[in-house]
Amino acid sequence: MTKIPQRGALINSEKGLQNSLLTFLKKAAEKKLFDAIMLPMQVPSGDSFAWILIKDMQLLDEATPIAPIMPVNAAKAVKRLTRKGEGSSKIAVLIKPCEVRACVELAKLNQIRTEDIIILSYDCLGALPMQDYIKDPVWGKQEFSAILESKNWNSQFVKPVCKICDKFSLSASDLHFGIIDEQLLAIANSEKGETLLAGMDMKADQELENWKQYIRKIRTKRLASKAETFEVIKTKVAGFANLLDTFSECIGCHNCQSACPICYCRQCYFDSAVSKPNSDVVLMRAEQRGGVSLPLDKIMFHTGRMAHMSLSCISCGLCSDACPVNIPVAKIFSYVASETQKTFEYTAGESFGDALPMKEYKPEELGELGKLVQNAEIQEGGHE
Amino acid sequence: MSHKSSSVMVVGAGIAGIQAALDLAEMGLQVHLIEESASIGGRMPQLDKTFPTNDCSMCILAPKMSECARHPNIKIYIKSNISALEGEPGDFTVKVLQAAKYVDPVKCVACGICESKCPVKVDDEFDMGLRKRGAISRYFLQSIPSEYTIDPEKCLKLTKGVCGICEKVCPAQAINYQDTDQEISLKVGAVILATGIDAFDPIGFGHFGYKSYKNVVTSLEFERMLSASGPLGGHVVRAYDHKEPQSIAFIQCVGSRDESIDHNYCSSACCMFAIKEAMIAREHIKGLKASIFYMDIRAYGKDFDKYYEKAKFQYEVEFIKSKVAEISETDDGSLTLKYVLENGDIHYSDYDLVVLSIGLQPRANIVKLAQKLDIKLNEYGFCRSNAFTPLQTTREGIYVCGALNGPKDIPESVTTASGAVADAVKYLKLERQEITEDKDAEPEKDVKGERPRVGAFVCHCGINIAGVVDVKAVAESARNLPNVEHAEDLMYACSQDCMNTIKERIKEHNLNRIIVAACTPRTHEPLFRQTIAEAGLNPYLFEMANIRDQCSWAHMNEPELATQKAKDLVRMGIAKARKLTPLQRLPIDINPQALIIGGGLAGMTAAQSLAEAGFMTYLLEKEAELGGNMRNIFFNFGNDPQKLLAEKIEYVTNHELIEVHTNVDIENIDGFVGNYKTVIIDKDTKQKQEIEHGIVIVATGADEHVTTEYLYGESSRIVTQVEFEKMLHDQDFPKPKLKNVVMIQCVGSREEGKMYCSRVCCTKAVKNALNLKKKFPNVNIYIAYRDIRTYGFREKYYTELRDQGAMFVHYTPENKPQVTLADEWDPGSKVSVTVFDPIMDKEVVVDADLLVLATAIDARKENIDLAKMLKISLNTDGMFLEAHVKLRPVDFATEGVFVAGLAHNPKDMDESITQAKAAASRAMTYLNKKSVLAEGTITEVNESRCSGCGFCEEICAYNAIKIDPEKEIAVVNEALCKGCGACVASCRCAALNLRGFSNEQLFSVFESLDLNDIIGGD
Repeated sequence: MTKIPQRGALINSEKGLQNSLLTFLKKAAEKKLFDAIMLPMQVPSGDSFAWILIKDMQLLDEATPIAPIMPVNAAKAVKRLTRKGEGSSKIAVLIKPCEVRACVELAKLNQIRTEDIIILSYDCLGALPMQDYIKDPVWGKQEFSAILESKNWNSQFVKPVCKICDKFSLSASDLHFGIIDEQLLAIANSEKGETLLAGMDMKADQELENWKQYIRKIRTKRLASKAETFEVIKTKVAGFANLLDTFSECIGCHNCQSACPICYCRQCYFDSAVSKPNSDVVLMRAEQRGGVSLPLDKIMFHTGRMAHMSLSCISCGLCSDACPVNIPVAKIFSYVASETQKTFEYTAGESFGDALPMKEYKPEELGELGKLVQNAEIQEGGHE
Repeated sequence: MSHKSSSVMVVGAGIAGIQAALDLAEMGLQVHLIEESASIGGRMPQLDKTFPTNDCSMCILAPKMSECARHPNIKIYIKSNISALEGEPGDFTVKVLQAAKYVDPVKCVACGICESKCPVKVDDEFDMGLRKRGAISRYFLQSIPSEYTIDPEKCLKLTKGVCGICEKVCPAQAINYQDTDQEISLKVGAVILATGIDAFDPIGFGHFGYKSYKNVVTSLEFERMLSASGPLGGHVVRAYDHKEPQSIAFIQCVGSRDESIDHNYCSSACCMFAIKEAMIAREHIKGLKASIFYMDIRAYGKDFDKYYEKAKFQYEVEFIKSKVAEISETDDGSLTLKYVLENGDIHYSDYDLVVLSIGLQPRANIVKLAQKLDIKLNEYGFCRSNAFTPLQTTREGIYVCGALNGPKDIPESVTTASGAVADAVKYLKLERQEITEDKDAEPEKDVKGERPRVGAFVCHCGINIAGVVDVKAVAESARNLPNVEHAEDLMYACSQDCMNTIKERIKEHNLNRIIVAACTPRTHEPLFRQTIAEAGLNPYLFEMANIRDQCSWAHMNEPELATQKAKDLVRMGIAKARKLTPLQRLPIDINPQALIIGGGLAGMTAAQSLAEAGFMTYLLEKEAELGGNMRNIFFNFGNDPQKLLAEKIEYVTNHELIEVHTNVDIENIDGFVGNYKTVIIDKDTKQKQEIEHGIVIVATGADEHVTTEYLYGESSRIVTQVEFEKMLHDQDFPKPKLKNVVMIQCVGSREEGKMYCSRVCCTKAVKNALNLKKKFPNVNIYIAYRDIRTYGFREKYYTELRDQGAMFVHYTPENKPQVTLADEWDPGSKVSVTVFDPIMDKEVVVDADLLVLATAIDARKENIDLAKMLKISLNTDGMFLEAHVKLRPVDFATEGVFVAGLAHNPKDMDESITQAKAAASRAMTYLNKKSVLAEGTITEVNESRCSGCGFCEEICAYNAIKIDPEKEIAVVNEALCKGCGACVASCRCAALNLRGFSNEQLFSVFESLDLNDIIGGD
């Protein structure tokens, strides 16, 4: 459970969300509250965005704190930044809540070190689907600005997973920017966050009750549409035949896996030689079933990946962005993840303190298994 | 000591003898194992299941029997007896008479044709006369050795000179009617006696009608009736009409606790035995009424009370505290029991079958044996030993274990066996052993590049598997699978002759992968691995399919589906077998030093045994003084505990090979068998010291339960038994003179959440009461009890106390005694105790000058931390949990760690001494080796795949895998890895691989299934 602070500091947001955030960051940089900052910046061609680690703070002028799209989950960038040993500098990263969650999961898996980074996040209005944006970047930029401008929490243009995202606000970041109508609130959520706010001479004197209510209202709506969406998805993947149907268009490019921030393996098992059976096995399968589609392991890849990462899935939707044939991978994975995480009473990315479910064993955690264990104990009288 | 020998003799090859022989052999000593019957094994093969785990008795014993048979240091002499012993300890000469077998053991192939043609039919001893055997026979199907022998008293050829059929039909020409008895002479340093006990013969008990009523059987006969491998195939029917009984009565203490037949002792095991039989019978027969008629239920062992509760509440076994006066037979063969309840009421009940829980008594030939060996017997005719030297006979150099010196259950027998070894070592030459190649084994064949040639063997396990599964059909189905060169069904795959068959087939068909479809690899895999190793195959080219637990047991009512599943399991096993590769076991060096945690009686005794055998020992004690709980014990029926304590302290503090550290805590224990490093810290100076050692003995003791019940602490006249014993010792009693003393038993024991018996309190109460009576003969003693558990020879003292007029009042947990103070403001107030007396059928009130509470023995809280450091387990009561409650009572599942004393479970001093010696002996089986072999099935890391996430490190229960801080990838400690596979399952990156369970192997198992649609199904 996320514990939300009582108070936050009010930020002047007259110049719009993007500018207000930039102003805040520039001031913090001037006060040397961090040595470097990582945030999105438009690529020179203008049709995409990339994560840039800025040392020269002049470059901040060209940054887009809230980018309309999400080409790479920031956790992947943070991983590259911190994986190898402790640095000596303090790095601020301004990222989306789902990216914070990915960072939390990767930190638990020793892929990210959080000692050197200050994580800044904001109430996220969503991102546009990659393919829509690339088709028409000009439209994309306009549309996204409009969403930000009007605080449109119900945009029809954002990614499908964003439409049903209920974790778009504060979770485990150090400092969170809360959005409520025309107000922007800086909420310190850790010692690091508090130090940053104090360094900015900002006082956390604003009660957050109104903001919380505002967020809660949006969440309630989102949860409802999430439930609806999951009901539909469920019918699409329930049973082996349906699952096969849904993934029948998969071309086996494994882009979903490359894009996934949680897939942290150096080499995916399904890309390795280990997973490739000998030709006699392939022939045997063909003989058993009359025929076999090649390359093998389409469903095995997806279900295998699901088994590996669904307990840590943070529903960022990058898999869907990456899918060239428009399989609703993100919705499916998000649905399965919500079920598996419920089973273990675990929410991926919620807090650095929750242990990964597989690292902890509680006999009572699996209701069904629990019953099995009990029955077995009763029958212990039987044999062995 | 002038003499020492590297040979030793063990007499009697029951479970105790087998354990003693194995321990000695593992230390590198030459063992002569003498057995009177035609097979090793003793009583255990006759038992169906064992309490309190309901393990199949033969299933857990068979691997030990085989290990014994194939150990290069053990020589087995069946049908043999000691005829004379001469010489000194360290240099005995023993004459052994080997009876003629009339069958050449080298030629006999145990085909059994001889017995099937033998015209003589006599009662089979193994099946308690429920089955007939020939004059030529083998003792039981899994006999070791497996050869047949001729009974010269029954054989027509040998008695009357006629017949000779067996000679004619024997295809191996193994019969030799001219065989004669032979006497051989063996030189040994010490002798361990383990000749066991006899069961009481109830034939003299006329009023119970044994042998005259057809449906009255003994508990041993009933055991054979229950056994799936017994004469009834596990289908319990009455001999009278072959009908399934609908009600069974168990009558306890037949031949035990009976002064009229000079059996004034408790046979210790029968209560649990009956509870087990009642539970198993209820599993066999739906709706069966099972009643146990008892005086006291003596469920005093580890986890026994939980078993008893389970029988009462889960299995609905009826327990009737009563005395059965008479049994009479009705017209339909059923039996009417006349019994007297506690309050004197006489009742009658009808039962279809009556089981007499017969007691244990000394062997008929024990007097002769004692004379030959010049050892003395005790008042009941058991071998004599003393509570403080519980494993010594009256003759130096001759030791005793098992039930020979008093009734014992299986784990106690095993413990005494190991304990006796520790004593015997004094006269034996120990030399640290190298890892030796088995001389008889074939050199390992290189199978690289060879096409898989699989041999599949499907076991009947008597009718245990074949009763449900069509074993022949399973073997047939295997025969047609690719790469299978040979498939065969075997009666008992684990029997010696069948294992020889497997070895022959390997040769014959040039097999290079073996699968056995039988029982569980947990008990039998090591056996089969060794078998194929003897035939020149790498032991890891072996696979097992468990078609007993998973087919014949799980689906006993669906034989066709069970057979289908068995075929599937075998096909899967063969698929894996094809992919098996040879694995190597790495040697781990053993540091020959021992660490003992806890300086009480158990710790000091273990230290003494180890030092005597020449091993450097570090003894740790957290208190400033040695002695532990023993410091509070002052009496022991004629022995002086404080004198013993002083001697022990003197010994351990002065022995050059024992380094005592008192007043220390353990900061950390790191390492694995053979290579431990422990950091201790002085409690005052905070100085640290690191100790390197090869093994650990946990002897941390236990705590006295602190009670708030019965107004304890409110008056100086309410004390615990421990405080009372001190009072008796100091002769310091509350004034004026004591008139009434009340004792309450089971304070904090046998209750919800602490469902165990503290074992010693009944005897302690009786002991203290007798001492009090000695001082004040006129004092009135009232003992409020639930069951009096003066097991074994302790019964005598209970009888004695009753004879002296002490009152025993039985109470139930629902109706505990009530205690009030006479004067609530007086800190020395007298106490009034109210308790319901079922004999008088009313409440009695006693104004007590002293109330003595028998408080429980509690597990120490510190156990939890120690368990974590050593990677060992605790049971639900917080006591340390041994590797196997029956057969490995002092070992932990973690190799190189052993347990002794109260840390394991409540126990008396003699039992702590025994267990401490046993732990020392088990430890010596490691310490006396220069190195041991690590597991072959261990995890390996594919460095290029590892992401260093550390998941594996966190879930490994053995601390065997760590992330290397430099390389940031996982590294396996091959000595620590147990091959459990948890890390492999946790590794998302597939960077880990369990040798012997590789992805490739497992995937080919899946591929072999018809469920291919699910796996990789596109």
